Amino acid sequence: MARLEINNAACTGCGVCVETCPTDVLRLDAEQKAIAAYGEDCQGCFVCQWDCAYEAIRVKLR
Amino acid sequence: MQERKNGLRDNVIQLETDVLVIGGGIAGAFAAYRARQSGARVLLVDRSYFGRSGCSALASGVYPSYMPGDDVDAWIKGLGAGPLVNQTLFVKALPVMYEHLMTMDRWGVKWLKEGDEILRFGAPGRAFKNGVWMAEGGPQMMMAVRAGVLASGVAVVNRVAVTELLTSDGKLPTERRVVGVVGFHVRTGEIYSIHANATVMCTGPYKFPYPWPGSKLGYMPVDLSGDGIAMMLRAGAQLSRLELGGINLNPDNMLCAPGLESLMPSGAAFVDRQGRRFLEDYDPKRMEMTSRALLYFAIAHQKEEGNNPSMDLKNIPADRIELLKRAIPIVIANYEGLGYGFTGTPIPYAYQVAGTAGIFGAGARINERGETSIAGLFAAGTCSDIHYLPGGHLSFCSVTGDWAGAAAGEFVAKSEGAPIMSNQLEAAIEAIQAPLKRKDGLSYAPVHRRLGELLMEKVGLVLNSERLQHALQKVLEMSENEVARLQARDAHELAKVWGLMQYAQVLEATLRAYLHRTESRVAFIREDYPIIDNKNWVKMVIVQRQENTLKLWDEPLPESFHIDPVRPTQNLHLVFRNRASTHGAP
Repeated sequence: MARLEINNAACTGCGVCVETCPTDVLRLDAEQKAIAAYGEDCQGCFVCQWDCAYEAIRVKLR
Repeated sequence: MQERKNGLRDNVIQLETDVLVIGGGIAGAFAAYRARQSGARVLLVDRSYFGRSGCSALASGVYPSYMPGDDVDAWIKGLGAGPLVNQTLFVKALPVMYEHLMTMDRWGVKWLKEGDEILRFGAPGRAFKNGVWMAEGGPQMMMAVRAGVLASGVAVVNRVAVTELLTSDGKLPTERRVVGVVGFHVRTGEIYSIHANATVMCTGPYKFPYPWPGSKLGYMPVDLSGDGIAMMLRAGAQLSRLELGGINLNPDNMLCAPGLESLMPSGAAFVDRQGRRFLEDYDPKRMEMTSRALLYFAIAHQKEEGNNPSMDLKNIPADRIELLKRAIPIVIANYEGLGYGFTGTPIPYAYQVAGTAGIFGAGARINERGETSIAGLFAAGTCSDIHYLPGGHLSFCSVTGDWAGAAAGEFVAKSEGAPIMSNQLEAAIEAIQAPLKRKDGLSYAPVHRRLGELLMEKVGLVLNSERLQHALQKVLEMSENEVARLQARDAHELAKVWGLMQYAQVLEATLRAYLHRTESRVAFIREDYPIIDNKNWVKMVIVQRQENTLKLWDEPLPESFHIDPVRPTQNLHLVFRNRASTHGAP
């Protein structure tokens, strides 16, 4: 099962990952940090990791 | 595009356009671009995010392309071979894909080049090198395509899942024409009613949505649930190629076979449990560069024999690894993330349950203008029968998108359009929201799991009538008793519920099409009909909803399709020839 590791210190809350995730997994929380709100739908496609300009998000497959 | 809210319902967002394109992969992108060039107002709607959704952004990193001066005959003998290919149209498609290659180059898509020259590489089953590699992968390609399409003046709405076509007589199936669609925003749940003079369906292939029960990884976009095909079926469009579109070759933990187009010509090898390259037994001359179909059979056979077929990447040279990391970065990240790197364990392969692992190039029956059997409704790419062009390739998707977009543009120039019927819209809105309102409904996850298990258990790799009938019966029962009673907690889950509902309907049509074709061919393998029958089955199987039942019939493919005449041969399918050599006749 793929899961996302989000580094809150690096996340700027720009929302690009929320905008582009193909399976609509991500949202911004109250502190404007990315969260995997629907983590069970993550397919490990790496689009969020690819799109994040701040290296704040990593896809873990194992 | 005009946006207005009126008294219909407080929360219905009403949009109006000349040409509506549904789906933002490469077929949808070129359909929208081409329709816009004709002067029409164009709106593209995507359930996800245009540029990131669907197969195109995550594909094999290869755009097969013709270039001026190529030997057309070599193209026909390579990708265009086979009695079910429309070779005449295939030849017409070649210069268009080159035009698209150049258009995308202008838009900033990064191809692998030497100086200014675009390079091409070989690929399995091709007589010569024709695969253009992306220098920064599918994500870069699709974002550059997105930018090019937006610059042409196409409007885009993301995160709206379209659920139903609307018709001028308010009926499904319709006796008249399509006048637009209805859907919902997958985050807010807001209803969208879109009035369009022409609608172009580009929703891509279909497969069992979300990962298989027990599977560790999905990889490919999970939302390929066949929504567009199900909508076209309900509207009364003829569907075709459902039984033949299966691409059933997958790594054990993935929902597709990512990277094959670029990994095979780079030195990836298929090995058995002893590390022996077993293609030696099937096609010693071409080995892994054999046809895709033969590769399927070989892997299926090895799997049946318990030989653990796997893809071994360890002999890929270092310079090629660097190129692969550029061309298919996401695919490589997936393999490495699972511990199957270039020096790691070979990647175990499965030959997945026929017809459920991924159906490419099956759906609405179209002509070379992308017209379906319903006025005002066009289709392109892998949710159509792609007019019998090789279905899974990006270039044929872009070409059919172009043709459908051009025809839609011509259509709106002549057609006055027709209004949306408010009673049909109201009923569709009720249907959209029903899973949200259902208090005693069933939860998504267990129903999804049971349907997946049913398919794995009942359909099987090699098909026969008894198992197919049984699976069909079970699918019908599950559709009525479980899928139709699903509830959704929020708009996000509503999109998944709708995906499963749409998929169940396409699945029924697919299983019926399987039963109709009484032969074996390519990845469609029936032990009760083991003959590849070019005498009786150079035909298309058509499925159409008429009132409340699915009607099936077959029609011969027009002789005009074939540049190489089809010989009326009848041969035992290779899977059974192999089986005969090891186990006696089937």
